[in-house]
Amino acid sequence: MLVVRPVRPADLPALERLAGSATPRLTNLPAHRDRLEERITRSQRAFGREVDFPGDEHYTFVIEDRERDEVVGTATIRAQAGANEAYYTYRQETLIHASQQLNVRREVQTLSLSHEVSEATLLCALSLDERYKGTSAESLLRRARLMFIAQYPERFAEILAVAFPGFLDAEGESPFWNSVGNHFFARGYQDINHIAGVRSKSFIAEVMPQFPLYLPLLTPQARAAIGREHPAHETPMQEMLAEGFVRSRHVDIFDAGPVIKGERERLETFRRAAWHPVRVRPAASLPDAEPAMIANQKLGEFRCVVARYALSPTGQLMLSPEHAEVLGVEEGRAVLAAPLALPAVDDVYDEGEL
Amino acid sequence: MRIRPIARDDLDGLQALAQQTGVGFTSLPDNRDFLAGKIEAAASAFEERTPVDDRLYFFVLEDEASGELAGCCAVVGQVGHDAPFYNYRLGTLAHSSVQLDLHRTIDTLFLSSDHTGDAEVCSLYLRPEYRKDRNGTLLSKARWLFMAQFRDRFPDKVLAEMRGRFDENGISPFWQCLGSHFFPMDFNEADRLTGLGQKSFIGELMPKFPIYTTFLSEEARECIGQVHEHTRPALEMLKKEGLRWEGFIDIFDGGPTVEAYIDDVRAVRTSRLCQVEVVASAESDERPGWLASSTSMLDFRAGWVGRGPSAEDVIVLTEEESRRLGVGAGDSLRLLET
Repeated sequence: MLVVRPVRPADLPALERLAGSATPRLTNLPAHRDRLEERITRSQRAFGREVDFPGDEHYTFVIEDRERDEVVGTATIRAQAGANEAYYTYRQETLIHASQQLNVRREVQTLSLSHEVSEATLLCALSLDERYKGTSAESLLRRARLMFIAQYPERFAEILAVAFPGFLDAEGESPFWNSVGNHFFARGYQDINHIAGVRSKSFIAEVMPQFPLYLPLLTPQARAAIGREHPAHETPMQEMLAEGFVRSRHVDIFDAGPVIKGERERLETFRRAAWHPVRVRPAASLPDAEPAMIANQKLGEFRCVVARYALSPTGQLMLSPEHAEVLGVEEGRAVLAAPLALPAVDDVYDEGEL
Repeated sequence: MRIRPIARDDLDGLQALAQQTGVGFTSLPDNRDFLAGKIEAAASAFEERTPVDDRLYFFVLEDEASGELAGCCAVVGQVGHDAPFYNYRLGTLAHSSVQLDLHRTIDTLFLSSDHTGDAEVCSLYLRPEYRKDRNGTLLSKARWLFMAQFRDRFPDKVLAEMRGRFDENGISPFWQCLGSHFFPMDFNEADRLTGLGQKSFIGELMPKFPIYTTFLSEEARECIGQVHEHTRPALEMLKKEGLRWEGFIDIFDGGPTVEAYIDDVRAVRTSRLCQVEVVASAESDERPGWLASSTSMLDFRAGWVGRGPSAEDVIVLTEEESRRLGVGAGDSLRLLET
């Protein structure tokens, strides 16, 4: 059985392993022992604190395989993307250059540094053991965070954002970085990504070119990478779009990876999540039903599992004793449930000012 | 040979000049109406009927024996008056971070209209068959004598735009890399429209944000502040007068804009007024070394004279010289050794 729970100090070796195996390496999950230790401490503080509005809390979760007694994945929520420092993105903009005299009209694309995403809650730093990729464990790890946010809305922003790793070529090089950042830093992408992870991204962003960049002046390879996720993240991207996130005009300042955004109220998990009292029944006697994410109502002891969405005629959620135990709920207590399956959806592009 | 203001009956001669200049000399297109308008503008400038900030002083070099026009040159009283005058200013931005052990400077092109209100020397053309006897120097420097004589009609600064570098196929690498992305036309068309004074499209189509030169191709970067090889002698002559490149370049071809405070221009500083004395004949230097100009705006004349003034600032002219410059005994004449 797989369960998502808050990270603990004992998870440090597992976090180190997951940080080292992330594909591609994640800026906000550096394989750096001290930083990971801080991450755990910081998360414990966030779970333990009384919070009325989003601030600099980072909530880090792990997913545990109970059969193997092993932590096989991790993911984080930053209550506010840029709480202590600004969260930098490039915003894609279109400028129209028109001349009546010549009867011409040209659209010119630019990238402008932006802090607009700073206010949003950021879902980030997700790394999952290779063996669990493509299974329900991946969906659970990714979306259990939404179940958590649904229970503690005051701790998070109305708008959620996810920054997907950007496109890298077969050599692990970022064509966007090579055409943009490298001019200003004279360092490779992996190198700067590591420094950003260990230190902070914004202090590097402060040295980025402050004026907008004209896309026609970038290399074709760099332009093609703008808003394109890393090949290993195409399926997760589709899942989040199905969840109700939309592509935004924002991209990462290093690799131009896409930033997607979603209003809480428009996300499938929030819309379909429902509270149910628990009725415990032997596993063998549970009726067949679609899978759902089931979360308990305990902040510091948050647990989220995938189980059958088996409802009694009176609206009680029927759980096996094993699931009830993992969730730490007795009969009669309420749990939050939301279907795991998402409607199929076309790739949505946000044309608005979301 | 002498310089004089262009006159209304010079239209045929000016058009003949325009037909010779060809592509690349955009301020003199072979367009009779346009040239007629230019002559009219110049005439009203010399007659001081147009406001001082909107004047085009257009001169011709005349072979007074044949009456043929050998070349032309001009001074714009103030640029940027009716259409904005754009340049790129090459600036430096530091990108530095102690934590990253980073210290780099990045060259950046900033769109600028800093030169608005400055005077400009421009439109210099000399027919190939007259490129001798220091006629080119006469065309170039007569303008300084004019500005020195009518100093109060001009602002503090003067500039000159120099033609930028082109490759062996006549293509500007700077334009290819930058302007072509923003202007849906080729360089010559853009340049032609500018020459016709139809400059508003520039402001409408130009990139408004600064351009980091590191995003330009190496060939384009190498054009920044560099002149066309044919323009090098003209640039050298202006440099000798004290004009300098202060980092401004043409937005199309990257050629340098050189500039100076008018009072600091060598010719303006060192020219002086002398009293004319006319004699039947006088010795002449083998190589002309003194430029002279009259002090009338409407009847401005400039040309070489055979000798310099005396220590008492008396200039002795032959009758031929006095006729050429339109002066008589007792008149004032501005002299410049060069």
